[in-house]
Amino acid sequence: MNWKIILEGLKARPVRTGVTILAVALQVSLILVLVGLTTGTTDEIGRRVAGIGADIMFQPAGSDVILALDSATLVPEIGEKLRNDFEEIQDVSPLLVRFNTKNFTNIFGIDPPSFDAVSGGLRYKKGKLFSAPDEIVIDDIFAKDKKLDVGDTYELEHRMFRVTGIVENGKGARVVMALKTAQELANAENKVTVFLIKLKDSSDINGAIEKMKKDLPGYDLRNMPEYNKLMTGANIPGLDAANNVIVFVALCIGVLVIFLSMYTTIMERTREIGILRSLGASKVFIVGLIMKESLFICLIGVLLGMAGSVVITRTAQAYFPTMVFLISNKWLIIAAASALMSGVIGSLHPALKASGQDPVEAFAYE
Amino acid sequence: MLLETLDLKKTYRSGKVEVEALRGVNIQIRSGELVAIMGPSGSGKSTLMHLLGAMSRATAGKVLIDGKNIAGMNDAERTEIRRTKLGFVFQKLNLLPTLTARDNIGVARTIQGSAGDPQIDAYLADILKLLKIEDKAGRRPSELSGGEQQRFAIARAVSHRPALVLADEPTGALDSKNSEIVLQMFRELNRKFQQTILLVTHNPELAAYADRLIEMRDGLVVHDSGYVASAVAGVLSET
Repeated sequence: MNWKIILEGLKARPVRTGVTILAVALQVSLILVLVGLTTGTTDEIGRRVAGIGADIMFQPAGSDVILALDSATLVPEIGEKLRNDFEEIQDVSPLLVRFNTKNFTNIFGIDPPSFDAVSGGLRYKKGKLFSAPDEIVIDDIFAKDKKLDVGDTYELEHRMFRVTGIVENGKGARVVMALKTAQELANAENKVTVFLIKLKDSSDINGAIEKMKKDLPGYDLRNMPEYNKLMTGANIPGLDAANNVIVFVALCIGVLVIFLSMYTTIMERTREIGILRSLGASKVFIVGLIMKESLFICLIGVLLGMAGSVVITRTAQAYFPTMVFLISNKWLIIAAASALMSGVIGSLHPALKASGQDPVEAFAYE
Repeated sequence: MLLETLDLKKTYRSGKVEVEALRGVNIQIRSGELVAIMGPSGSGKSTLMHLLGAMSRATAGKVLIDGKNIAGMNDAERTEIRRTKLGFVFQKLNLLPTLTARDNIGVARTIQGSAGDPQIDAYLADILKLLKIEDKAGRRPSELSGGEQQRFAIARAVSHRPALVLADEPTGALDSKNSEIVLQMFRELNRKFQQTILLVTHNPELAAYADRLIEMRDGLVVHDSGYVASAVAGVLSET
C-alpha cells in the first residue's frame, strides 16, 4: 500500500517527477561520461604504448607514465651502450614523443629500421612508410577523425605534412614521423624521450628489468606489455583528484535537486500528510514514505543515466573517433551509489519536516 | 465512561498575545452515544475536538479515553491513540486525491495494521452497504460527489472499529441533500453498530440529528442536554 501511495503520487505530478528523474540521470551521466573520458583516454594511451610490441621502455628516473609530459633528454649514446652492455637485449630503438595540443594526441618520431625491429613493424592498411621529412603515417582512427586519406596534406605544429600511409590503430601514437623531423619540432636536436628495448627472450621481462636496474641507477625501466596497468590514479598526478571533483560536483547537483523536489512535494502534500497523521501514521511512517519516494525516483534516474551515458559516449565516438570512453563496473557502482546517496541526503530534511508537521496546522493548510 | 474531560484548558500563545480557547471544559461521553457539540465560531469547539482527537496537547486538565489520560502524552503516544481508538471525519478534502476510495480505506488499514484481516473485510463490506457506496469504491475522489466522498471518509474512519469517531463539521462543504444523507448515515452507524460519534458543528439542524447536545461559548460548556434524557428521547422516537 505504501508503494501505491508513492507511485500514484508520482503519476499525479508527472512534470515534477520527470524533471527530478532527468536531473538524477544527468548526475549519473555526468559522472560516467566525464570519468569515462579520463579513464578511457588514459587506458587507451596505455594500451597503445603496450601495443607497440617492445618489451622494455627505458626512461630517465622519475619519468611520467604519460609520455607526453616528458621532455626529450636522452642522448643516442645511451642506446648504443644498452645494445653493447646487455646481452639480454636484441634491439634498441630511439623514440621521441611529442604531444600535439591542437589534436590532443601524441606524435612519435621514430627510426624506422630499429622501430620495426623492436615492434614488429606498423601494420599498413593503405600506403607506405614516409620517406621524406615532411611526410607522416597516421592510424585509421586519426584518418577517420580528420577525414584524411593517403596523399592528403595536414597541418601539424605549423608545418604541412603529406600522409603517405594509414596503419592499424593500437601501436603507439596516432601520428608517426621521422625521428629527425620530430626532434626539429621539439627543439631537441639529437635527443630522444625513451628507448624501446626488445629482449632476446621475452618470457621474463621483469627478471630482465631487475637485472638491468642494478647497472642502470638513475633510470626507469618499465615492462611495456603491462604498461596500461600503470595508467591509474596512483601513477598519474591529478587523475584521482579530477575524478573526485567530478563525483563531488555531481553529488552536490543531485542533493540540491532532490532537496528542492521533495521539499516542494511535502509543501504541496501538507494536507495529505495531515490526513495520514490523523489516521495514526507515525513520524517514522511519514519519513519512510518520503525517503522511499526519493529513492525510487533516484533509481529510475540511475537507470536512465546509465542508458544516457551509453548513448552520449557512442554518439561522441561516432562524431569524434579519437575520443575514447571507458565505463567500468566500478564507476557504474560509484555513479549509482552517488545518485542514491543524493536521494537519501536530499530528502532527509524534507522528510523530517513532513513528519514533524502538526496535524492541526496541516488541516488548516489550503 | 468512554471519554471524559476534567477542567480541560487550552491557551494559544503568539508572541505576547495569549488566547484562551478552552477555559475549563468538563464533559462525559458514554459508549454508544451520538453527541453534537455546537457553538458559534470561536467558541472552542474545534479546539476541543483537536484535544479529544489527540491531535494537540492541552495546556491544563485531563482527557481520559477508556480511563487513560491522553492530555500529557507525547507525540508517539498520541499517534498510537489516534491509530487504535479514534476515527476522524473532517469538513472537506478528507481523502488522498491520488488513490481510489478503496485504496484510501486500504491506507488506513495498513497504518492501523488490519490490512488483510477477514473480519474487518466483512465488517467493511457491511459498512459500505449501509453507506450505499459499495459500487463506487474503485473511483478516485475527483470522480465522486461531495456526499460520496464524505461517506467514504466515514467508512475509513470506522474501518478499525474505533472507540470514538470525531466529525468536525462533516456537512460543512455539502449541499442540503447530501448533508441529510451523511447525517442519516451517522445515525445508522450509531444505531446499528453502536458506534460512539461526536459531531462538532455550528449548525443547529445538524445538531438535531444527535441524541445529545453540548453547547459551547467562549471556551466553556454552557449547556448539556445530558445522556439520560436524550437516550430516553431516542428510545421513545424509535418506538
